[in-house]
Amino acid sequence: MSMWQRLRELNNYRELIYHLVVRELRARYKGSVLGFLWSLLNPLLMMAVFTVVFTLIMPNNSLPNYPIFLLCGLLPWNFFSAGVMTSIHSVVSNANLVKKVYFPREVLPIASSLAQLVNFLLALVVLFALLIVFQADVSPRLWMLPLIILIQTAFIIGLALILSAINVFYRDTMMIMDVVILAWFFMTPVFYPLDILPQSYEVMGFTLNVHRLMNILNPMASIINAYRDILYLGTYTEIDFLLRTALSSIGVMFIGYWFFTRLSGDFGEEL
Amino acid sequence: MYYRQDRIVDGQPRITLRDVSRRFRIHQDQQRSFQDLFINLFGLRKRPVQNGFWPLRDVSFDVMPGESLGIIGPNGSGKSTLLKLITGVLEPTQGDIRVNGRISALLELGAGFHPDLTGRENIFLNGSMYGLSRRDIQEKMESIIAFSELGEFIDMPIKHYSSGMYVRLGFAVAIHTEPDLLVVDEVLAVGDAAFQNKCMNEIQKFRQRGGTLLLVSHDLGTIQSICDRAIWYEGGQIQMIGHPTEVVMGYLNHVAEKTEAARPEEDQRRTPDKLDQGQRWGTGRVEIINVQLCDGNGAQRSVFATGDPMEIRLRYRAEPPIEDPVFGIAIHHHSGALVTGPNTNFGNVTIPLADGEGEVIYRVPSLSLLAGGYTLSVAVVNRPDTEMYDYHDRAYPFQVHSGQYRERHGLVTLNGQWRVTDTTPEAVSERKSALVG
Repeated sequence: MSMWQRLRELNNYRELIYHLVVRELRARYKGSVLGFLWSLLNPLLMMAVFTVVFTLIMPNNSLPNYPIFLLCGLLPWNFFSAGVMTSIHSVVSNANLVKKVYFPREVLPIASSLAQLVNFLLALVVLFALLIVFQADVSPRLWMLPLIILIQTAFIIGLALILSAINVFYRDTMMIMDVVILAWFFMTPVFYPLDILPQSYEVMGFTLNVHRLMNILNPMASIINAYRDILYLGTYTEIDFLLRTALSSIGVMFIGYWFFTRLSGDFGEEL
Repeated sequence: MYYRQDRIVDGQPRITLRDVSRRFRIHQDQQRSFQDLFINLFGLRKRPVQNGFWPLRDVSFDVMPGESLGIIGPNGSGKSTLLKLITGVLEPTQGDIRVNGRISALLELGAGFHPDLTGRENIFLNGSMYGLSRRDIQEKMESIIAFSELGEFIDMPIKHYSSGMYVRLGFAVAIHTEPDLLVVDEVLAVGDAAFQNKCMNEIQKFRQRGGTLLLVSHDLGTIQSICDRAIWYEGGQIQMIGHPTEVVMGYLNHVAEKTEAARPEEDQRRTPDKLDQGQRWGTGRVEIINVQLCDGNGAQRSVFATGDPMEIRLRYRAEPPIEDPVFGIAIHHHSGALVTGPNTNFGNVTIPLADGEGEVIYRVPSLSLLAGGYTLSVAVVNRPDTEMYDYHDRAYPFQVHSGQYRERHGLVTLNGQWRVTDTTPEAVSERKSALVG
């Protein structure tokens, strides 16, 4: 099947994606007393932890409204890490389905990623509540927020497709990604501002622009910066910066899709 | 490549397979490397791969609209792989598969149910897996619940369901997707008799609506009664395709031959001198030294079809000579029931003197035993039945399969004929007047 036919077929199965998202969300909160309230509570508690720790480590930190600053990075980061980590085993854990029923396999990682998106949107409600409490300046470019969310979702789906496909053949992927995500977390300005990193760094005679490199090599850094511009700083992100980020995210998504469809024919045998 | 088109194009086969092959890797064979993965990814590996096995080799056939095709073959012959290829669960290594129309597969009932969701929620999930829209599912919801006989349990998480409830719900959803093509793999073997009947009814209705059916089953009777055409599939290839009865016969004969071929050691064990202590007794003045079950051509066999000719040959030795012995056989069914016990006395055959070696043959022109396992006993006694010379108790097993016979209840067919007469009042009075006249 051509890519186009595959995409059309995927569109026919959007109901399945919806039901899988519902299934995933329901299954997660089954048996917990607070249920979906955890989606709201969890970021609040994490924020509390980071705020305490960060003020202890850096007593002279000069960031105003640190909880807001933190949440603007932490919520998208959680969306990212949970999205990637739950999607990785989405194909493997649905082996009984994959072996017995035909449907486009890509719906599995996509649904896992989208379930995390729903969680993220719930958590954003908390953030908005806090924005009101702290009376932060809201950027006139708030309309860009959905755009950034879309960009991030595309990026997550792209990675989810690649990693979930590899995980079918090499279960090591999961273990490796545990560590990679941790390292990635520290290398992304989630709980610290990008400014605390040196502007430039000398390696073997080359002067590297750390800030630029960070934004180029780490899409999550760009994405979190964009969230912060809008929600925390109240400024706006330059359009061309946003466009570049969008382009690389969509690129990752398409590469992921191509990669996944290339391997998905063997899933039935491998699982 | 696998092509699938949900919209029906008239006059086209529902399923087309062209030179389809599928290779499976043999797993312990080699350590996979990341390098392999990327080579696969870019399709760089052109060299033919020697390792692995092929459950399918260059298979081609068509299934036309409204047709129902049965697939038979031994376990491990690749039947399930074939179905998985047709439903798209696996992709062919080589060749093309085209599926024209909406397909619904009963490979495993209830695959894809989530234990934490209720029956109703699972109907939505499962339905959307078959490609149904929310509205479609809502429309059919009542009918699905009614078919599954779940009643109020439908709003209970299905992890609390019994396996019967689970299977009923699975079948209910699958049959309500209104497919053009239904692929059934042995799933009807699960569930109780009532449920199986219900499923068969539903499948018949599906056929009457013009649906196309692909059925894998070990129940050769079902294949013969439902299908228009059958495939005997074995060793990665189609061995035979055609009318179900012919294919079933071909398959069964092959099974019989194979069973014969695999028999040599067993044959030795079945010779009289190798019998267990408890299986043989008698004074030994006449010994039965060899027992053979043969087909119409005198070839030794242990598998027969109902309706086949059969010969039982008893070779004896009497030293010194004995006057007037009586030879007999008995056939027991698996279950222990004695089916028949003829002897030379009943048959009005006398052997004035048994001197040295000789042979007694019991010939059955048309075997009336129905499918099942049987054992043969042989005996030789004196005419007054006071001295048992030699008795081999249930020492020689043989199998009967149904062949062309459709009868399947009980142990034997009486080869009776059915006749139906008209029972309308006019016809009855006509017959009466004919009698009077």
